[in-house]
Amino acid sequence: MHIPDGFLTPPVWGTLDAISAAAVPWVARRAQRDTQDQRIPLLGVMGAFVFAAQMVNFPVGPGTSGHLVGGTLLAVVLGPAPAALVMTAILVLQALIFQDGGVLALGANVFNMALLGVAAGYLPCRLWGRKPLTIFAGGAFSVMTSACFALSQLRISGVPMAGSVLWASLGLFLISALMEGAITVAAVRAIERLNPTWVAGGPQSSSSRTLPALAMATLALVVIGTLIASAAPDGIQRLTGQGGTTTGWNLRLIDGIGGLILIFALCFLGGKLIFRRRSA
Amino acid sequence: MHHLVIDRWSRGSSPLHARDPRAKLAVLLVFLVAVSTTPPRAQIAFVAYAALLIVGVRLARLPLGGLAGRAALVLPFSATFALITLWSGDALRALALAEKSFLSGMAALLLVSSTPLTAWTAALESWRAPRMLILVIQFVYRYLFVIAEQAQRMRWAALCRRGNQKGYFDFSAAAGLLGVLFARSWQRADGIYHAMLSRGFHGRFVPSPPAPFRTTDAIFCSSCFAGCLAIRLLL
Repeated sequence: MHIPDGFLTPPVWGTLDAISAAAVPWVARRAQRDTQDQRIPLLGVMGAFVFAAQMVNFPVGPGTSGHLVGGTLLAVVLGPAPAALVMTAILVLQALIFQDGGVLALGANVFNMALLGVAAGYLPCRLWGRKPLTIFAGGAFSVMTSACFALSQLRISGVPMAGSVLWASLGLFLISALMEGAITVAAVRAIERLNPTWVAGGPQSSSSRTLPALAMATLALVVIGTLIASAAPDGIQRLTGQGGTTTGWNLRLIDGIGGLILIFALCFLGGKLIFRRRSA
Repeated sequence: MHHLVIDRWSRGSSPLHARDPRAKLAVLLVFLVAVSTTPPRAQIAFVAYAALLIVGVRLARLPLGGLAGRAALVLPFSATFALITLWSGDALRALALAEKSFLSGMAALLLVSSTPLTAWTAALESWRAPRMLILVIQFVYRYLFVIAEQAQRMRWAALCRRGNQKGYFDFSAAAGLLGVLFARSWQRADGIYHAMLSRGFHGRFVPSPPAPFRTTDAIFCSSCFAGCLAIRLLL
């Protein structure tokens, strides 16, 4: 799901870089407020832990294995803002040193995985308390959200994807989403058995539920929307197909920016509402 | 697990290593933007970008093959999409997709192989990246190999205890491994914090003052910008 450079068109990576460049300092400020000095090394070591945990293969059925992505586990253990910050740090290192994801596409990857992925993983626990089921839902939802956003950014950038390819990749994403859910639950349970206080600092179910619910519904709508949009041929594409074979740069630009602004507005609204409630 | 070769490379000495990290970071961004905006039909431009990178690698006295091999790690992903593009009948675009991702990866590698992590994070910090993020990046990088090696040792130990049964490494065992790894990481973080306290840490790191931006850095920057622009606009 790490998008390399060369896939996204300039308007798409430009917009997402700008969004992430604005959001990450805000996340960092929140993380700093939530974190005592003592936890600064903890954040770093947890990032290293997620890196290492990605090396541990979990067997799922014959011949296939998956590994932890980690956003939800971090959100459960550290809370959303520190988790998003740690994921951002991991993505920066992956982009520059491990050739996993591009540098210009870093904004897109941060947006998909560190910001939305962590938010999606955190919301079910925030809404319905920390139970195995909500952690499972969080893990699965987190991977699905990141994947759907990455996929739609690639589509907006005009990376051609035939219907069958799209369905195959969505199927793969669904499998890895379920796997992430299962692995996160198993890992949280194993950690809890060793020392319950380690996971106690994470999200607690709270009295105000409407706004997180709204944010959750927004993200779910976008995910479902992506699924529907990939099932049915894209309306705009059909229009341009009828208008002639030339899909102009301008049209694609408007298409891309419009879609991104829409998605961003929805998510921004959702995110703002959750966090405002938390600080209130 | 072997330690990163990049880390060793980044501590070398060469004309490129000596440049200011801010200059190199700026050049990287301009290069990436130029590559990203080059249309697929301008195939000569991609050759020119590659030539520019080769000059950079030579200037940094780094092994070209080693760098290219590492940058090729992006190719499986982009090759998949390139094949899909090829299949939908756009050969030039498919080629450009693979070339762009490879060249971009190579350029990023050239930066981190000629600049130590502390230098490029300091450059990011001087561009007002959040200090907290920089701290976390440095901590993650510093403990990455410690924790990864621990994970590797635990995996081997688990494999040894399992005997020669052919079955899968079962799910709950893997989860237990993660739990223990988490516990050890947590304890390590505690130890690190106490070690920092005993060395007089009181909530913030004192960054070393940045080196001055010299004339050679400015010349390096402007000539690279000119090269990228020339390739982008003329070819």
